Amino acid sequence: MPQRFSTLPRVNHKRTYARRARRADLLVMLLWTSGAAAAALFLASGGAAQFTTPAAIMTSLGIITGLIGTDFILVMLVLAARIPAIDRAIGHDRAIAVHRSLGKPALYLILAHGALLLIGYGMSTGFNPIAEIGPMLALPDMPIAFVGTGLLIAVVVTSLVAVRRKFSYEGWHLVHLLSYIAVAFALPHQLSVGGILADGTVQRAYWIALYLIAFGSIAIFRFIEPTISSLRHRITVSGVTTVAPGVTSIHFAGKNLRSLGASGGQFFIWRFWTKRTWWHSHPISLSAMPTSTSARITVRDLGRGSARISAVPVGTKVSIEGPYGLFSDAARTAPKLAIIAAGIGVTPIRAFLEHARFAPGEATILLRASTEEETYHWDEIRDIAAAKGALCYVMIGHRSPVGAGWMSESDVRRGVTLAAAFPDLARSDVYLCGPTAWLDLVEKDVRATRIPAHQIHAERFDW
Amino acid sequence: MRHVFETMGTVASIELPTGWGPALVMPVFAAIDERFSLYRPDSELSRIADGRASLTTSSDTMRASYARAVDWRALTGGLFSPHRPDGVLDLNGIVKAEAIEQAGVLLDATGCPTWSINVGGDILVSGGPWPTGVVDPSDPTALLCSVLLGDPRRALATSGSAQRGDHIWLGGSRALAEFVQVSVAANDIVTADVLATAIIAGGRDALDDITDRWDVDVFAVDRSGALAATPGFRRALVGA
Amino acid sequence: MRTRAVLGSLFASTAVLVVGWQAGGAVLANQAIGTTTSAPQASGTSGTTAATVPSATPLPSATATAAPVAAGPADGTYTGSSVNTPFGSVQVAVTLSGGTITDVTAVHLTDADGRSRQISNYAAPMLRSEVLSSQSAHVSNVGGATYTTRGYLQSVQSALDQAGF
Repeated sequence: MPQRFSTLPRVNHKRTYARRARRADLLVMLLWTSGAAAAALFLASGGAAQFTTPAAIMTSLGIITGLIGTDFILVMLVLAARIPAIDRAIGHDRAIAVHRSLGKPALYLILAHGALLLIGYGMSTGFNPIAEIGPMLALPDMPIAFVGTGLLIAVVVTSLVAVRRKFSYEGWHLVHLLSYIAVAFALPHQLSVGGILADGTVQRAYWIALYLIAFGSIAIFRFIEPTISSLRHRITVSGVTTVAPGVTSIHFAGKNLRSLGASGGQFFIWRFWTKRTWWHSHPISLSAMPTSTSARITVRDLGRGSARISAVPVGTKVSIEGPYGLFSDAARTAPKLAIIAAGIGVTPIRAFLEHARFAPGEATILLRASTEEETYHWDEIRDIAAAKGALCYVMIGHRSPVGAGWMSESDVRRGVTLAAAFPDLARSDVYLCGPTAWLDLVEKDVRATRIPAHQIHAERFDW
Repeated sequence: MRHVFETMGTVASIELPTGWGPALVMPVFAAIDERFSLYRPDSELSRIADGRASLTTSSDTMRASYARAVDWRALTGGLFSPHRPDGVLDLNGIVKAEAIEQAGVLLDATGCPTWSINVGGDILVSGGPWPTGVVDPSDPTALLCSVLLGDPRRALATSGSAQRGDHIWLGGSRALAEFVQVSVAANDIVTADVLATAIIAGGRDALDDITDRWDVDVFAVDRSGALAATPGFRRALVGA
Repeated sequence: MRTRAVLGSLFASTAVLVVGWQAGGAVLANQAIGTTTSAPQASGTSGTTAATVPSATPLPSATATAAPVAAGPADGTYTGSSVNTPFGSVQVAVTLSGGTITDVTAVHLTDADGRSRQISNYAAPMLRSEVLSSQSAHVSNVGGATYTTRGYLQSVQSALDQAGF
């Protein structure tokens, strides 16, 4: 008897995850090994012979910390370059999280580099380390290397969350660009005083390769490729519609948009070329899968930036970078799907559901809003759920002061629990999307069930 | 590119090809300076010199340098000595040359194709030829002549009583030196340095003896300002 | 972070560092050899090869007249071949008894005054005019009697260094 439904090819999420996890682990190993390689190459090029006296050991350690610090900074650039392979392996979010976590260690290594060398030279000449600053500045290229260190301090300090809140995003971003200058300023002394590019050494090959990869991938994936893509797809704003008070959908027209290869749940970085908005780019998820001629995002007026883009006129030219992110079907690890989304966080879920391949009965969705007005795109989501055979719960009401804290008060009083809504949670990939404070509570509740961390996919939506 | 830094109470000028840095060799000087300087009261040599430590239990590096200096004392008939006339151990005469030698070995080991190391007027080069001036002992701001250094004559050491005669003791006597400045070009810097010191200490006889027994080129300036040079040194003169 | 990634990173990093250290040790060994080869040596009287016997051990390999057998050399006195040393040519006799060396004597040692002077390398007087032409040459370094850190500032070398040579 012929089947009435076209069967979906069975996807073994476990196997695809194992493959991805291998790539992710390899990436982590490469990252750390590159730091070790920086030190090892120095040791191999005569550095190992230097561990003779306390002063020489200090000096050698100083050189090693400088090399590892530089290596980490270049690795940070690689992680921030939005290389597609890295995005597919660990996702842009985690790449940036690793990038961020390397920032302080890299700075400490560079500071230790300076301090250890001053101490080492100080020990060897019998003067105090401070007195060594003068002679050191007299070496070629050292003054700008000191300036580079200063810039690096500025970049890391402004990137620390506390300061970042006092800064505008734009200001922070501008300071962040100084890191390129800091790296550029540090380079000459590495060549002249450090001699890392000495002819015919493995060190030379290694550092040239690393600099090329770092700056090359930044150039290619952050500038050249987005520029070409933007020019090719000729995206313009085709309409702005109000979804709810303060929430707008921006519709785009363009050429051949399907070939962007976006998955539902991924985001693009959008830049609107009007006089008031061109200098600020916005990372925003698709709220529907692109057709070949149109795409859509949905934004809430949270910051000044997003308020401005909801007022852009029709016809505005738009440039894009992306698609980025692993909050998509590609991150699946388990046979079932559990989705919990709140507020504006439903938008990537909307596109995710449209794009993801799952069998009827495989997915369960819980949509969450504080008030009726915040039920953005819920009708669309319910339509998709019905069409693809997913169970869709909704939960409206302010957060409960008792219980896990992320559900509505009335549902908590009713006795609703995570386990009640998602009986198969242990065998599910859990996709969470919503405001940070709320999402932290959900994630805590989910983690309490002791499901493996790799089954949890969270996207925090703060702007 | 030229790199200049202070070490061992003097100044090192190192010329390296573009892309090479002095960071590798700076610790060589720093380490030797730390161990051997007598003007630093806590150096190993200072502690041996004033009896706080014993040479027999000292570091391998210290004893290797001492043994080398003693070998040279035998070879030069006592004109070069690891001891000052007052008996204090002073390896200054050999450790600077050893430091230059080690820095050179290190640069060669890392494949640096061409370089010159000048520490306080003692010079070791690789590649070349490197035109090298010899200072006029009567006028430190003028050159007396220039010679070409390069393989195999890679080292030029100059000893004198003009500027800093304090580490040359005249064979135990306090007689005035016959020569005010002696430059020795040799295939290695330790030989050049030791023999220049020995000729200053031993005068004309030592000059003849040493040029006879060693494969070196010598250029000497005596107290009256008269010059003497071996044929090899004449051939190495720039423009000769 | 996954255990596998952590262990893998640790292993790979350690391996890389050990290899680097070993490779650096090879340089260290080279350095040691370099130091040894430039130990005191003299040319001898007639252009001895570079592998001059160090002065401390003027002990030439004994050219045994008796064929060595498995039981070891027979007792007796063996005379070595002549070697050039900084003090002239030396010949050594070794006396063996019961397989151990009981005596080593120098059988020939040229007297220091008995050597023929090598006129070819004699430092002959030279007129200042003979070196005049080389004074103004562009040089990369200046050799001179040792200067102190302070003396350096007045030296010609200092001027060269400031010009970046």
